[in-house]
Amino acid sequence: MANSTLTTPPTRKREPWHLSAPPSHRPNIFLATVRNLLHRHWTFEVGAALLLFVLLVLVLTPWIAPHDPANQDLANRLAGPSADHWLGTDHLGRDVLSRLMWGGRFSVTIAGITLVICVVSGTILGALAGRRGGWIDEVVMRTVDVLVCFPDVVIALFLIALFGTGYGTLIAALSIAGWTPFARLMRGLALEINAKEYIEAAEILGSPKWFILFRHVIPNALPPVAAMSFLRFGHKLITVGALSYLSLGVQPPDSDWGAMLLDAQPYMERAPWVGILPGAAIFITALSVTMIGQGLDVQKKRRTTARTTGPSGAPAEEPASRTAIEEGEAL
Amino acid sequence: MLIFLIRRTLVLVITLLIVSVLAFLIPYAGEGDPARKILRARVNDPALDQSQVDALTKELGLDRPIYEQYFEWLGNTMTGDFGFSYTSRVPVSEMVAPALSVSISLALAALLLALVFALPLGIVAATRRGGKIDNVITFLSQSAVSAPEYWVGPVLVLIFAKHLGWLPSGGWSGLAYIVMPALALSLRPMGYFTQVTRAAMTEVLAAPYITAARSRGLSFPKTLARHGMRNSMLPVMTLFSFWFAGLLGGSVVIEVIFNIPGMGRLLYTSVLNNDVPVIQGGMMWILTLAVVINTITDLLYGVLNPAIRVTHG
Repeated sequence: MANSTLTTPPTRKREPWHLSAPPSHRPNIFLATVRNLLHRHWTFEVGAALLLFVLLVLVLTPWIAPHDPANQDLANRLAGPSADHWLGTDHLGRDVLSRLMWGGRFSVTIAGITLVICVVSGTILGALAGRRGGWIDEVVMRTVDVLVCFPDVVIALFLIALFGTGYGTLIAALSIAGWTPFARLMRGLALEINAKEYIEAAEILGSPKWFILFRHVIPNALPPVAAMSFLRFGHKLITVGALSYLSLGVQPPDSDWGAMLLDAQPYMERAPWVGILPGAAIFITALSVTMIGQGLDVQKKRRTTARTTGPSGAPAEEPASRTAIEEGEAL
Repeated sequence: MLIFLIRRTLVLVITLLIVSVLAFLIPYAGEGDPARKILRARVNDPALDQSQVDALTKELGLDRPIYEQYFEWLGNTMTGDFGFSYTSRVPVSEMVAPALSVSISLALAALLLALVFALPLGIVAATRRGGKIDNVITFLSQSAVSAPEYWVGPVLVLIFAKHLGWLPSGGWSGLAYIVMPALALSLRPMGYFTQVTRAAMTEVLAAPYITAARSRGLSFPKTLARHGMRNSMLPVMTLFSFWFAGLLGGSVVIEVIFNIPGMGRLLYTSVLNNDVPVIQGGMMWILTLAVVINTITDLLYGVLNPAIRVTHG
């Protein structure tokens, strides 16, 4: 922990090093992030409000869903919105609103699980590639070169041909190529961070390699990685829906937004809301995270030019400046 | 450059070997006798005669060691021979070629449509950075990126085919049939292209040579055309070919919705029918093309932008 005294501001009254309490002087990445969220970009605000709303509804579903999503009422098929069924009923007389709520829990959870797998593996592999270089870099980046151009849906079809459908196949299909953008971004950031003085300082102080990686490199790359995570989440949500729409994703009796869209296809003309609402749910959720991600990205860019000192006045470990969009998150 | 080429070719070969092993293993995955599975797919009769199974095992050489079978299969594959489809008894290559050409036209139509809208929007947004127009365009591009094509597609069908009756709701036999699927497919790339154009253009506009050109008295539109466009198009080009490779097999949903006989639908139906030779052939073709297109893009990128050539090794 000796290296943390390095970040003590020179203007501070000097205490004997063994009496200083390192944690309080360390720029706290979490606090810094929260503080920076206070200077928000408008797309971030709108997106965050939308996402909070969606997540709140999905979390509270067991308590607030008006009906049992599987409860059929064949006498009341494809009914329009009413006081009892706010968003109408589907082809089996099931309440669309309740089905949207329960289905969303599947869609969002699966997209979330794959996202976590991709972020963690991509960040660690990318950081290793950027820090260590050599054959690790070569192997990781050549793998990225190849996997990045395989469409998720094609990978999913391949895996289904091999192993059949199921949640495991679904999550694997979305993760196999999904980590590559994070690895690419993280490697670039790591290369940039490698050149910083605080890395040199940590190396001179003899910090172990894993410590430098997890204490200095990854934390300073987090803002762009966070921005990209939000952007990728929307992409994953859409792909999960696509696979369910092809009846290769979430399997009956479970149902998600994509599966609801599929069910509604034959009734598009008679009851358009049944086929429009689940898509709208995917759209709004994907839009909210896209707005958050881009808001973070823009704000990040602004900050890197403005910020010279960290919270508590200490000279910050200057984070890497690359942003997710420049890095081709559009991929 | 040469080193780069050799290296990427090596990567391509390794990738294809791995993919080919996986593709070869498809009939062996899961439980059950592969010959039984193949026969079941062919005759669609749950009660199979064991003598038939044995005959097929012998005929296909399934009783030989697996590596021997693999190398024979790989040899045939190299010459483009993936065998016959279980369901239609047509050679796989004769199914893949037309499907691929359909998917190529669909992907090109969608991506060109996306470019036509995205380039002007991205440039306008970059020149009006931070203004109202920029905010509107940013929001539109974010919406486009978040719109699932399997939602936009059916809604388009509902409006233009069912209610207005202007366009056919599916099929593939003329120019009118390409409009709706291309439109539905173009939205997400359109959003991405707009964002990348805006980002690239913003960066270019801040460059000293733009100021220099302006101070020499060159009008702003001319500066844009001569210096701005040329220098900001590289990222867009990369993204274009990336999407092109992705859409060749990745436009499954749209091809299924609009009943288009493309590569995506071919792969999808073959997976549903467990038509192993078609899955194998289709996968090998799609994944090879994706890697080849990406390699060419990276190569072109190096040629067009000498500044990065060094780092590309």
